Amino acid sequence: MAAKPGSAPTTYSPSLTQKTRPPIFKGNDLDWVRPDGRGFHQCRPAFFRTGAVNSASGSAYAEFGNTKVIVSVFGPRESKKAMMYSDIGRLNCNVSYTTFATPVRGQGSDHKEFSSMLHKALEGAIMLETFPKTTVDVFALVLESGGSDLPVVISCASLALADAGIMMYDLVAAVSVSCLGKNLVIDPILEEESYQDGSLMLTCMPSRYEVTQLIFTGEWSTPDINEAMQLCLDACGKLGKVMRSCLKEATSASQE
Amino acid sequence: MGLPNASGDLSTEVEVDAFRRLFPLRFYEKHLSESIRPDARPLGRARDTTIALGAVASANGSALAKIGSTTMLAAIKMEVMTPSTETPDEGCVAIDFHMPPICSPIVRPGRPAEAAPVVSKQLSDTILSSGMISLKELCLVSGKAAWMAYLDIYCLDADGALFDTALLSAVAAFSHLEIPVVSLNDDGKIVLLSEEQEGMSEREPVNKEKRKLTLCSIPFSLTCILHKNYILADPTAEEESIMETLVTIVLDSSSQLVSLYKPGGPVLAYTSAIQDCIAITRQRVKELQKILEEAISVMEVD
Amino acid sequence: MVGLSVGEKHFIQGGIAQDLRSDGRKRLTYRPIYVETGVIPQAHGSARIRLGATDVIASVKAELGKPSALQPDKGKIAIYVDCSPTAAPMFEGRGGEELSTELSVALQRCLLGGKSGSAGSGIDPSSLVIVEGKVCWDLYIDGLVISSDGNLLDALGAAIKAALSNTGIPKVNVASETSGDEQPEVNISDEEFLQFDTSGIPVIVTLTKVGRHYIVDATSEEESQISSAISISINRKGHICGLTKRGGAGLDPSIILDMISVAKHVSEQLINKLDSEIAAAEANEEES
Repeated sequence: MAAKPGSAPTTYSPSLTQKTRPPIFKGNDLDWVRPDGRGFHQCRPAFFRTGAVNSASGSAYAEFGNTKVIVSVFGPRESKKAMMYSDIGRLNCNVSYTTFATPVRGQGSDHKEFSSMLHKALEGAIMLETFPKTTVDVFALVLESGGSDLPVVISCASLALADAGIMMYDLVAAVSVSCLGKNLVIDPILEEESYQDGSLMLTCMPSRYEVTQLIFTGEWSTPDINEAMQLCLDACGKLGKVMRSCLKEATSASQE
Repeated sequence: MGLPNASGDLSTEVEVDAFRRLFPLRFYEKHLSESIRPDARPLGRARDTTIALGAVASANGSALAKIGSTTMLAAIKMEVMTPSTETPDEGCVAIDFHMPPICSPIVRPGRPAEAAPVVSKQLSDTILSSGMISLKELCLVSGKAAWMAYLDIYCLDADGALFDTALLSAVAAFSHLEIPVVSLNDDGKIVLLSEEQEGMSEREPVNKEKRKLTLCSIPFSLTCILHKNYILADPTAEEESIMETLVTIVLDSSSQLVSLYKPGGPVLAYTSAIQDCIAITRQRVKELQKILEEAISVMEVD
Repeated sequence: MVGLSVGEKHFIQGGIAQDLRSDGRKRLTYRPIYVETGVIPQAHGSARIRLGATDVIASVKAELGKPSALQPDKGKIAIYVDCSPTAAPMFEGRGGEELSTELSVALQRCLLGGKSGSAGSGIDPSSLVIVEGKVCWDLYIDGLVISSDGNLLDALGAAIKAALSNTGIPKVNVASETSGDEQPEVNISDEEFLQFDTSGIPVIVTLTKVGRHYIVDATSEEESQISSAISISINRKGHICGLTKRGGAGLDPSIILDMISVAKHVSEQLINKLDSEIAAAEANEEES
């Protein structure tokens, strides 16, 4: 939608003069500092707020450093006409990015798989049998992408579902770990993700201590897997507490 | 009138709610005859309005505007383009309005909302014709390079008065916009200068002074509903769906009329009604100007 | 989805509990694997895998392209899967799209490794570069599901492995030294072909949890019973190269670790079986 009709000029965003920035760590270096000064096993401070969107049945906003997402939940509402009868409810997920979410405009569109990954992470936690014949829509919008987008979307979505009053076994907390050289770093930012050799994302229901989704990429040896999974499980436990307290605050505020 | 308060009579509460759903128009007309709206506003009052600047760190300028619960996030990204030969010393502004599925139950993924392209067109018409931005200021090197300002506005929560909120967020984003310092490299490409380079670099930045756009005559708008003889300012989504005649008036900061939309509707307005709308808008523009100035001064203190 | 009666469900679950599945297999036995290579003459490499009634084809096509600016020393590899409407009526129109995307993403994750592309990738993307930053091979790997009877991911993974070992990429001679931004001229040889080293390509093992037991190579009847499933790609060294949990209910972390060790054990047999089948198929193709 260019201002001048007929002309669609090609544009580029100006880059920094230094062509290649020095990598944030060197091959075998064990003792480097993360770009934001965190410890390797330290998560970014998490902020959650429910009720961000009034026109939705439930919604939540999450902010982890520069990663900012909004999730709205609609329904349970009538399934599309073409859908077959189903005696359990359906879950429909969609994740999209704003055009300004990524450092270079319009690069956030290659995340088609996020929608199905969000679906898989949530479906194990929702009591689908409580809303037969209907659909619950979970729509997420990444306002700003600052790394670990999918885990933030998943945690935020489970909070939005709780806000909408959808029956769940437990909240779903998600954390990812990146493997950089010989170090495992938790809750990576965008810059770290672009250097990673492997990554692991774990979503779990903290109170039930059950994993709903687990994704590995890159080559992992068994001891590393054990360490990374334990890291994630501990972090999910802590994240779950933050999410729970956010829900408690919201209900106590509405009662007053 | 209105919803029963803490009187605790459940039966009347249910009845009022049922009445509201079954006979929405009569429900509203009963209120209007008492010169009040169901959310306790007088007819001519707009909802609470807030602006927060700099909501998106990855953009060059951004703002979050809220009127009632309608929320819009606007962000500007500056990119470089080669200007066309007819206008070698002018940049370009591209405005796009999005309604993602999160904002309203009627929008589904893959099926964009009907309102989105309409608001998008209205916005770019208003902003470009108001003369708020001089495109010449977006020029970097005449004939070689100019800025393309991509303004994207996302509706995060839709509850009526979409255009007003979108315009407010757009204007606020432009006043927050900070143009990066750049210079021309040997290949004729524009490159960014990082802060430590700024002083000592052998290359002169091409836009040392022009870091902020001068915004002359900022446009502000107000949407009103015309229903019988009533004028309702700043309607909610429910009001818009029940009473369909809308008038949107855009005035600039010196109260000149920029544009006026009345896209049909069952009520045919007398000129006097339109003049009344303009009078309300004039008041509203003063309010909005104040809110925007406050937001800017709050940000400068930070 | 397969519609099963309560009786049939009990029969399947009971069989799994007693380590005797309805088609006579044990819990951790694969169906017989049939490998056929060179099925598509136009492609640089292709293979067809049959696993019971599951039938898939993978083809590899190489084209000359330009490396991305971010990774000038690496070629690009893309994996896409298509589900043919002949496999199941639900794949008609856009019906198969969701499954296709899911399988494509899972295969990319299992075979191509992390974003940096160095570790965990079965194919070394830096071996595809011809002139750094200028010319490289782009590999297009396409999978086609012809008939579906469960365990599509394992079958596709095996088909891609077979197709890659069947692939010959033409040798390229860079004609002359060029400077600056110019694209160098290249000559594609008709006679000499380069083979891939496919020993590092992992196999994918999907473990399906039914009740308290895990089974491999589930048929679609069995897949309709899953409480949850995990797809793990494992290379010859026994390292995990990718893992995806495929929906369903939650799992205890210790069960996941247990499933990983079972999958490792299974993968050793599968790799050997697959390698010998591929070798036999290659020999067969040369004879005919």
